Amino acid sequence: MHEGVKKTRWDIIRPYVFIFPAMFFIFLFVVYPSIDLIIRSFQEWNLIAAPKWVGLENYKYNFGKREFVESIRNTAIYAVCMVGIGMTLSTLLAVWLKNNTWLNNLTRNVMFMPHVISLLSVAMVWTWIMNKDNGLLNTVLNIFGLPSLKWIDSRDTAMMSVIIVALWKALGYNTLLIHAAIQNIPSELYEAADLDNANRRSVFFKITLPMISPQLFTLLITNTIGSFKVFETIRIMTKGGPGSATQVLVYYIYKQAFQLNKIGLAAAAGVVLMAIVGVLTIVYFVVLSKKVHYQ
Amino acid sequence: MAEIRFEKVSKKFGTKTIIKDLDLTIEDGSFTVMIGPSGCGKTTLLRMIAGIGPQTSGKIYLDGKDISDIPPAKRNVAMVFQNYAIYPTMTVRENIEFGLKNNKVPKEERDRLVREVTESVGIDDLLERKPNTLSGGQRQRIALARAMIKKPKVFLMDEPLSNLDAKLRSGMRTELIELHKRLKTTFVYVTHDQIEAMSMASHIILMNDGEIIQSDSPRDIYNNPKNLFTAQFIGSPQMNVLKAAGNEISFCFRPEKVHMSIEASNLFYCRKGEIVTKEMLGSETLYQIRFEGQSVMVKSLDDNFQEGPIYISVDKQDILLFDIDDKIIPPHSTQHEQWLNIIGGVTYA
Repeated sequence: MHEGVKKTRWDIIRPYVFIFPAMFFIFLFVVYPSIDLIIRSFQEWNLIAAPKWVGLENYKYNFGKREFVESIRNTAIYAVCMVGIGMTLSTLLAVWLKNNTWLNNLTRNVMFMPHVISLLSVAMVWTWIMNKDNGLLNTVLNIFGLPSLKWIDSRDTAMMSVIIVALWKALGYNTLLIHAAIQNIPSELYEAADLDNANRRSVFFKITLPMISPQLFTLLITNTIGSFKVFETIRIMTKGGPGSATQVLVYYIYKQAFQLNKIGLAAAAGVVLMAIVGVLTIVYFVVLSKKVHYQ
Repeated sequence: MAEIRFEKVSKKFGTKTIIKDLDLTIEDGSFTVMIGPSGCGKTTLLRMIAGIGPQTSGKIYLDGKDISDIPPAKRNVAMVFQNYAIYPTMTVRENIEFGLKNNKVPKEERDRLVREVTESVGIDDLLERKPNTLSGGQRQRIALARAMIKKPKVFLMDEPLSNLDAKLRSGMRTELIELHKRLKTTFVYVTHDQIEAMSMASHIILMNDGEIIQSDSPRDIYNNPKNLFTAQFIGSPQMNVLKAAGNEISFCFRPEKVHMSIEASNLFYCRKGEIVTKEMLGSETLYQIRFEGQSVMVKSLDDNFQEGPIYISVDKQDILLFDIDDKIIPPHSTQHEQWLNIIGGVTYA
């Protein structure tokens, strides 16, 4: 626009008109529910009687309760295992997939399937596979002369079992994304590294890993958030048990809200979940984003 | 000493044979340029020397030593890639010293070498920068420095100037020539740009379809082409090729060997034609001249001719003849004389 030409009213409001539809829905489905959640966390409400303002009581009650504290601890264990083991495995698998044998091709084609299957079915099938009496896993263990495990029926192995199932489900998707990133690395870089006498370790840490760091960073954040929201596998396979061995945050929220009708307690737990995920994401950005290589 | 010798080398991609039983010697200390159209196998040859795209069969010798099965890093060669292949996540210094680090060269020695090569290519002030903040010319220099720091016996270059703009390119050409003079190592340089080939090479290898068409000095490649392919590939604008004697003979002359005049001349081959187009290039002018249903390009220092009728003439010694198999008919041979008489006297009388 030329200097001196006055902006009309339409010029000023036009950009807002364009972003209005998007902002409207973001407000309706993201901002408003978040605010409502925070308000509810300060109220006592059983879905029927009028809500009563109780201040920080819900938070005090939650943090005073062993089940809640354990659910945070369990969620953290689950998230660390899912992100740590999951991303390492996916990266190694993706690097291995770079080769071009029939086994690689088969793996490439098959590995995405768990992602396509509904989590509900996956959890059901694995519940059967992990059955302590006649499940497939114990049968295999017995063939090799190893003792049976109780899998989801024991406090000691329940969490591990759930993690195995979730890893199995998530591995293909993560690997596919990392594999795609690896395929995008120009082959000349590897040839140059060959001429530079770089060994495999050095090639992986100096070339492959930095080159796929943007994708790894994105996966790190989405996987962390996803892990903190884990629910379906727990709901189907263990219902938080045995005892509270697999009690996680979202399952705790579910229980408070829909089984015990304690909306205030559920909302307070929800706010805690939101805060944990928010803080973690900020920490990731502060600590790691400088190490990520963007083109 | 760094002579490279190919012995019965073949290369297949899948079932497709790119190069078949090729023999070739690249002389020690030469600046050898491999040139040819896309897909002729020139880059494939270069990659075989580097060891990053090994031959399917045959042997490659460096200084008489069989390097066919030696890994790239142990061959004592360095390569500059077409897109430079600079490690984008490393700083300039890390890029240049990566090879030394992998070879466990001590830090002081590394620092000294990095300083030495980066000063010589003029990027010593960029060492801590990341490549994505640098220009094409600067990246080119990093790639050169990375190759130089290894003090290789052979420099391999795969169209290293093709990503630069015209001005930078001609500057880098001069620098590469100087670099070659200074280092006195063998340079093997792949390009499809004949100006690069002619200006830098001490020796040109012209390839087509995986075969060596002609291997000669730039001067001989230009003046004494052994076949029509060479004659037409080298030179800009292209060699004029006229079909004569019922397509049995190709009658050729270079655009700059044609004389233009308003009056008929008494040179051997003189025809009357018409200027159709005129392209001013500054120092010289290109004319397209049509005569007897054919069209030829003429390069002249004189830009005063206007579109319209003109006489063109070519001296006898500037005429090259190729037979029906596109092979040269040796100048000064009796056969050459006979054909000249037929063409000069009958076909275009």
